[in-house]
Amino acid sequence: MSGQLENVLQKQKDQMNHSYHDEKSEDITQLVGFVIGEEEYAIPILNIQEIIKPITYTRVPSTPAYVLGMFNLRGNVIPLIDLRRKFHIAPKNEDAETRYIVMKDGDNIAGFVIDKLTEAIRLKSSQIDPAPETLKREKGMISGIGKRNNSILTILKVEELLKRDF
Amino acid sequence: MDDLQEILEDFLVEAFELIEQMDQDLVELENNPEDLELLNSIFRVAHTVKGSSSFLNFDILTELTHHMEDVLNKARRDELKITPSVMDVILESVDMMKALLEGIQASGVDTECGIEISAICAKLDAVSKGESIEGISPTEASISTEPVVEEEIAEEPVAEPAVEEEVDLDQNYDEMSDDDVEAEIQRLIQEKFEAKEAKKAAKAEESPAIETPAPVQEVTPTPEPVVETPTPAPAPTPVAVAKKEAPKKESAKKQAMAPEQTIRVEVKRLDHLMNLIGELVLSKNRLLKIYDDVEERYEGEKFLEELNQVVSAVSLVTTDLQIAVMKTRMLPVSKVFNRFPRLVRDLSRDLNKDIDLILSGEETELDKSIVEEIGDPLVHMIRNSCDHGVENPATRLAAGKTEKGTVNLKAYNEGNQIVIEIKDDGAGMDADFLKMKALEKNIITDREADNMSDKEAYGLIFRPGFSTAAKVTGVSGRGVGMDVVKTNIEKLNGIIDIESELGRGSTFKLKIPLTLAIMQALLVSTQEEYFAIPLSSVLETVRVSMDEIYTIEGKNVLKLRDEVLSLVKLSDMFGVDEVFDNGEHAYVVVIGLAESKLGIVVDGLVGQEEIVIKSMGDYLKGIEGIAGATIRGDGGVTLITDVAAMMHLAKDIKVDVTQQSALSESKQKSAPSDYNVMVVDDSKTDRTIMRKSLEPLGITLTEATNGVEALNILKSGEIAFDAMLVDIEMPQMDGYTLASEIRKYSKYRNLPLLAVTSRTSKSDRLRGVEVGMTEYITKPYSPDYLRGTVSKNIKLPEGAIA
Repeated sequence: MSGQLENVLQKQKDQMNHSYHDEKSEDITQLVGFVIGEEEYAIPILNIQEIIKPITYTRVPSTPAYVLGMFNLRGNVIPLIDLRRKFHIAPKNEDAETRYIVMKDGDNIAGFVIDKLTEAIRLKSSQIDPAPETLKREKGMISGIGKRNNSILTILKVEELLKRDF
Repeated sequence: MDDLQEILEDFLVEAFELIEQMDQDLVELENNPEDLELLNSIFRVAHTVKGSSSFLNFDILTELTHHMEDVLNKARRDELKITPSVMDVILESVDMMKALLEGIQASGVDTECGIEISAICAKLDAVSKGESIEGISPTEASISTEPVVEEEIAEEPVAEPAVEEEVDLDQNYDEMSDDDVEAEIQRLIQEKFEAKEAKKAAKAEESPAIETPAPVQEVTPTPEPVVETPTPAPAPTPVAVAKKEAPKKESAKKQAMAPEQTIRVEVKRLDHLMNLIGELVLSKNRLLKIYDDVEERYEGEKFLEELNQVVSAVSLVTTDLQIAVMKTRMLPVSKVFNRFPRLVRDLSRDLNKDIDLILSGEETELDKSIVEEIGDPLVHMIRNSCDHGVENPATRLAAGKTEKGTVNLKAYNEGNQIVIEIKDDGAGMDADFLKMKALEKNIITDREADNMSDKEAYGLIFRPGFSTAAKVTGVSGRGVGMDVVKTNIEKLNGIIDIESELGRGSTFKLKIPLTLAIMQALLVSTQEEYFAIPLSSVLETVRVSMDEIYTIEGKNVLKLRDEVLSLVKLSDMFGVDEVFDNGEHAYVVVIGLAESKLGIVVDGLVGQEEIVIKSMGDYLKGIEGIAGATIRGDGGVTLITDVAAMMHLAKDIKVDVTQQSALSESKQKSAPSDYNVMVVDDSKTDRTIMRKSLEPLGITLTEATNGVEALNILKSGEIAFDAMLVDIEMPQMDGYTLASEIRKYSKYRNLPLLAVTSRTSKSDRLRGVEVGMTEYITKPYSPDYLRGTVSKNIKLPEGAIA
């Protein structure tokens, strides 16, 4: 038993040393990954205020379809944006994995509906490529492309997501 | 350095307050040139400002006030008669003084605002020399200086007054004749004695001042001749008693009596406090709502009683707290009203009219933010009344009126609102003339003019670009002023009510909510959504039958008593999907803003609630028709409508309220599998039997195990069902309830609902018909019968059966 514990502790220590070492040698970006439709996206962890399960929201008139409305987050009124619709993907009903990610950038804050969360990701700056020229379609919403072992993920620009474009 | 800055700020605040008072006194003085008390009070202001400014090295200001003081000093010694021309010079110098102070406020020095005072100083000198008469009345002088001392003790308990006094006296001596010096010495001795007295008195007053206002008055040495002017209105403070006796001494006395009773607090702190209270009010609403739920669930339990007590206590205290904090932000309207006597005086001189301004209700209190906002609109309203309302003396005489016109400015509370009334006894408004002018300027069309009621015609004066003045003058004619009034009042969610009688005068009533942060709202529902309408804008609510609604030019109108009211459906304005059918009746919420009215058609009135306005953040702010959001007792977000914007939006909506929304046409069905039928039954066996029976038809079946589930599937709208097979006995929601819920939606009004049940009694069948079942299939049934009934109801083509 105690041997096991020691083992775990040692592992953690190693990991910490390792990551410490990593950070020293190269810049590390911490991201949170999530899925919308078929693709995996990520945003910097520092832009996330919190992640909550779906709650009721109130529709707001005269807004584009991707603005679902507003919800009450402990006394604050926060807009709710459907990223599926924003990215022109067919809408889907809420299910057990649906989450709202509350993102902030300075004073701007909004909740975004995503299909499901994946994991927290640490990427070295060498693993992040700038957004390819051909992806201008998203109007500068992409800050870069992250490469991992055998997959890529799109890193979104939070300040662009939070910018009102209507 | 910081100390100096602090003193400077104090000086500015004080100076502006003093000047405001001075303005008022000066106008009063013109009416009562003999009033020594007024003169003294004015002199004190000039003197105090001079003293403080010389201490702070504002040479220009000192010089100016010094000259003013000379003139005023002469006047109060009766050496100079206050004539209108003298008054003009004095008022001009007061304006200059204001400009200098503003310059100081902006730059910190009085040299940088580029104001040249030599001209005005020369004028002042001329005035003071031109009519100077030798002959001093030392007694009067000594008496009148006494209050100065009193005031200074009270206001500046630091070493400052000493310096001030010396500077002042030095300068005075330079210009004094021998006689004067003699008198001055006497005066000083007297003053010293009196100062001691005053100090003693002030000390004696300090402690009992709060509890016993009456004795205070007796202790106070009042060597000043008491002025026998009736008080405009007593304030509800302990000082009121003293004030009644001599309203002109008000400020000096108040300060002398209660030096420690007020604290200056930053507005930012009060705002923060107000925000916190807002949160508390929301929590209170939430608590009340939860209590209701708990009460329902644990009826008769003992702890409910205790909980009830706590909830009531919290709710009471919260309300009291809210009122208390609101009160700290309240200012008397006199803050705004005080500048009007001067305004009217100047206007009447400019316009060659004789106008009396009568103020009343100045003690009425309003939220600071509102007091700041109503100043400008009121200036324009008063200008309007003076310029267009009150006629010139000749016309007035011809009309059998007195030469002097009156403008009444009155403030009073009415429910949750404050009403400011501007009433003149002038010419009144001519609706036809207004219409003609509006037509000339292309503001309205011929047809609009024909349909216009008198009240609506009066409202024309608030349109931008509208003016009845033949030419642009300094006072009016640009057609801007009243538009400003309207915009500002709308911003405050206020209402303007106009009454006018030709030849007799006009009355404008501005109704403004007391505060902006927390407000009373009427909650209304349309379809499944709720909206809050500020109660201050709601004039009334009526329940009308659809037959009473008429259509004119594609717009719905309602004849409400003598008025024709245009109607707009809330759901059209905010693009709410029409899913429910509302039947023959509708509720109309009549909203009023500034001078216009509109009827909003809603489905239901939920009730009145106290709401706290929350900002919607950068992302959603500025949506037309929405002023903000609030959080309700159940934690949900409700939108607050922006009444001004709604009025605007309504103009562009042309939808017939009475017209039912057309049912969406069903898609062309080719194969039997395009037909969708839902089977609702809690028993798996029964569902399987139905499935087996219907399989030969080849139609698509969806299963639900109870009413709630069935309703959710239906509401999600993913599948357009052609029929539903409904069991009656089910958990959570039975078949009857399900049917009646479904029938509430207009688009499912014709959806075939087939009851499948073993209940066969006549009353069961009747109930089935009542709730809207289409067919009643009794168990047990033959598969053929079920197939036949279903295919008949979904109109399955004969040949399509597989």
